[in-house]
Amino acid sequence: MSAFHKLIARVRTALERPVESAPPHHEAGGMAPPHAEAARRAELASAFAREFAAVRGEFLGIHAPEEIPAKVVELARSLNALAVAVGAGVTLDFEPIGRALEAARMAVVRTNAKKRDDAPPLRERIAQADLGVVEADAAIASTGTLAVVGTPASPASLTLTPPANLIIFHADRVHADLAAAIAALGPEPFVKNRVAMITGPSRTADIEKMIVLGVHGPRRLFAIAAWPR
Amino acid sequence: MSAGPSSSGFLESSRRGVADADLRRKLENATGRHLEHVAATRAEFPAFDSERDAARRIKEDAIGRLDELLVELKNKLEANGATVFVAADAGEARDYIVNVVKRAGAKQVVKGKSMTTEEIELNPALERAGVEVVETDLGEYIVQLRGERPSHIITPAIHLSKEDIGRLFADKLGIPYTAEPETLTDAARKRLREIFLSAGVGVTGVNFAIAETGTLALIENEGNGRLSSTLPDTFIAVMGIEKVIPKLSDLPHFLEILARTGTGQKLTTYVNFISGPRGRHDADGPRAMHVVILDNGRSAMLADPVLREALYCLRCGACLNVCPVYRRIGGHAYNSTYPGPIGSIVSPNLFGSAAAELPFASTLCGACRDICPVRIDIPRILLHLRWRESVAQPAIKWPKAAVKARASVVRFARMARFPRTLRLLTRLAAPVLRPFARDGYMRRMPGVAGNWTRWGRDFPALRARRKTRQKPAEHS
Amino acid sequence: MTEVRLFATCLAEEFFPSVIEAAKTVLERLKLKVRPVRASFCCAQAPFNEGLREPALDLARKFLRACEPGAPIVIPSGSCTSMVRIFYSDLLANEPKLAERAAALRPWIYEFSQFLVDVMKVKYVGARFDRTVAYHPACHLTRELRVIDQPRALLAAVEGIRVVDFRNPEECCGFGGVFSVKLPHISAAMAEDKIQRIQESGASTIVANDCGCLMQLGGALHRRGIPIETWHLAEVLAAR
Ligand code: SF4
Repeated sequence: MSAFHKLIARVRTALERPVESAPPHHEAGGMAPPHAEAARRAELASAFAREFAAVRGEFLGIHAPEEIPAKVVELARSLNALAVAVGAGVTLDFEPIGRALEAARMAVVRTNAKKRDDAPPLRERIAQADLGVVEADAAIASTGTLAVVGTPASPASLTLTPPANLIIFHADRVHADLAAAIAALGPEPFVKNRVAMITGPSRTADIEKMIVLGVHGPRRLFAIAAWPR
Repeated sequence: MSAGPSSSGFLESSRRGVADADLRRKLENATGRHLEHVAATRAEFPAFDSERDAARRIKEDAIGRLDELLVELKNKLEANGATVFVAADAGEARDYIVNVVKRAGAKQVVKGKSMTTEEIELNPALERAGVEVVETDLGEYIVQLRGERPSHIITPAIHLSKEDIGRLFADKLGIPYTAEPETLTDAARKRLREIFLSAGVGVTGVNFAIAETGTLALIENEGNGRLSSTLPDTFIAVMGIEKVIPKLSDLPHFLEILARTGTGQKLTTYVNFISGPRGRHDADGPRAMHVVILDNGRSAMLADPVLREALYCLRCGACLNVCPVYRRIGGHAYNSTYPGPIGSIVSPNLFGSAAAELPFASTLCGACRDICPVRIDIPRILLHLRWRESVAQPAIKWPKAAVKARASVVRFARMARFPRTLRLLTRLAAPVLRPFARDGYMRRMPGVAGNWTRWGRDFPALRARRKTRQKPAEHS
Repeated sequence: MTEVRLFATCLAEEFFPSVIEAAKTVLERLKLKVRPVRASFCCAQAPFNEGLREPALDLARKFLRACEPGAPIVIPSGSCTSMVRIFYSDLLANEPKLAERAAALRPWIYEFSQFLVDVMKVKYVGARFDRTVAYHPACHLTRELRVIDQPRALLAAVEGIRVVDFRNPEECCGFGGVFSVKLPHISAAMAEDKIQRIQESGASTIVANDCGCLMQLGGALHRRGIPIETWHLAEVLAAR
């Protein structure tokens, strides 16, 4: 976490520096200058991380896409995972993640692989996995929420049945609040697919209003922000 | 007091509630904790009130053109591949669901938390049809194991301590006794996970139904609603007609206020959106999806201009927690699926005379209206119902005390029309009664006022000057 | 000298005459001429809250005849003030003539503390009260009239007073009019819990602006022999 905050501080300071040459001209009411856009993005990602931690999510930092497979392996190892279910990316290619896990001698449940005739149905294999990995379509800064669209290549079970869940999101896709996220997603995924907005690990307060994590859904929820170099 | 039993039994059951010191302590703790969380999350969200107003306006609009929206919802859901059934009453809804379950050949049904299915008494109907029903929300599971009904619409087991639940699990699940919430939750998780993977039908309620897209939004923290609507081959959602909202973009306004008042969270862990059964290539999700849209007295509420507002209710449960009556008697005392302030409005309209006493179970203190995320004027509606009862004079068996009290108010109102006579009477009566008083208070009173003095309170003597009035200084 | 009308309210008149005297004293100290509203006895809240519209209508009619716009009408009760200011519009919905009269009267109706602070612009009224006080914010006063700061400001300005906080002060005392005898067990339980929280605060005196609350809390305290006294705000402000 603190490494992440340091990064954000660095990004901000870097962006505050005066620009040497005259900025390229832009029309009034046009797009914000690129550095302001980047600063906003960093701000949103930082707010997301704070809220995500507040709901007991575990934020694993901002990483370049090519670093992510190693991060996933590291996480899976720390969980002593034997099998990891990997969905398909939205903006990212998830294939390297699967390969890295296999290289690390873990069984990988691939959602896009052709099913062998004798294999149990995919959703049962996902339920047996120790970790599910997906990419979110959107993240929400004000609540620490991840919006995940269930598709054939990334079924809803991935974020539901394994005891731990890693959701990767692209730093470009962090929205300020619920309204902005829903507007950005548009109605289509809601009509065509199953969308889940996930805010922290599964929890209950049904016994004396005391919070217990991991009732039916995952007990641990991790997130990584992908930020292309 | 020799009050005969009433139609609803509220008098008796509320007396049991008040007498149960243990229950009152549990309620005070749990509701107190909830109110603290709510206050904290609200304080850090300055837009709370403007979101409330926005949400309220959307409800006003939606309920105002419910017909249109229900048509749109049904069309869209059907276009998405869901089967829609509109049930006029509880019986129709039950029959339909039992049929669907039978046709699916399911022996087991898993249920997400749903007050609407409690309202239609679905579980006994399914059990009569030979189907095992398993509640999967932890609180619902607990009360099901106890053979009780939920005592709160959000926290079904609010009336139980962790020790109570520990004993229950030791008894029913055969695990060693523990009062550790983690261990207890884990035991339930293991037991329920197996059932989730084998059950043929999942049933849940609905928080919002978006007409524009034909999408149901299910809001929860545990994940049981997601599991119930994802793993079984057949999924049945049951919703009241009032759950429909026009557009997807309306939803954020509700999400911003619902958890903040319901549980004191910014947002619940899961907001699940389901628009239809699984697609051809999907690996999970139900193969068949049914949406039961239930009226059961709601359209009659809609027709009453004062009552209509009650249909804006989001079932967040906050008005129960803040209600000084609920906090003293607990949910079971209401003998209804819907307890507390909103329950006192909804129940008489859904369940008729059996709940006719409930609108009177309030001091009209207004705490419910203040906490309500959509600002439902609960006291005003309660007054309206009180008036309606008095006009309609239905065949309700009121408790004797209530009848007497009511008659004495009529008598008082009649006399109060003549202030001079009334003043003369009390001036004459005061000295006669004075010898019976002690420091200006009566220990025992006749008639209706006897209900006052029988229940732990002395009654102020007529026109008495309590001696303390003359010495303001601290005795110290 | 400006004139104000003082509406005694049925509870104060019959059970707490000293409240009316105190209110009069305080108003007179502010150089106001106080004239009682004698031709009405009750604002109609008791029958109205019981759902008895016709009897309520009779009493409201009586009240509206007894008062006229032009001079402030001060009521030492948040509840009765709410009845006239707020609930009359529901009660008189089908009585256009009366409703019109009520609407004309509405701006002249004030709860006691509201009148002192908002109209007279005073906080200090020359009172002295050497006690530790818990202020009970009555429900209708707080949530119907939104009179929240005025009584506290008046109390804070009293010499010698110490006002203490207690847990969950805004929860209802359990009076609720007819509720207190129709569902007496619930009513009493509410008072019991409230008293317990006030006891924890170390207060020797409970102050409220509503005789219903005073009757409820005072009655429960007296039955238990707890030496905490109940005072109306007007009585505190009249004390020296
Ligand atoms: S009436 Fe308001 S506070 Fe009560 S449950 Fe409904 S939405 Fe929540």
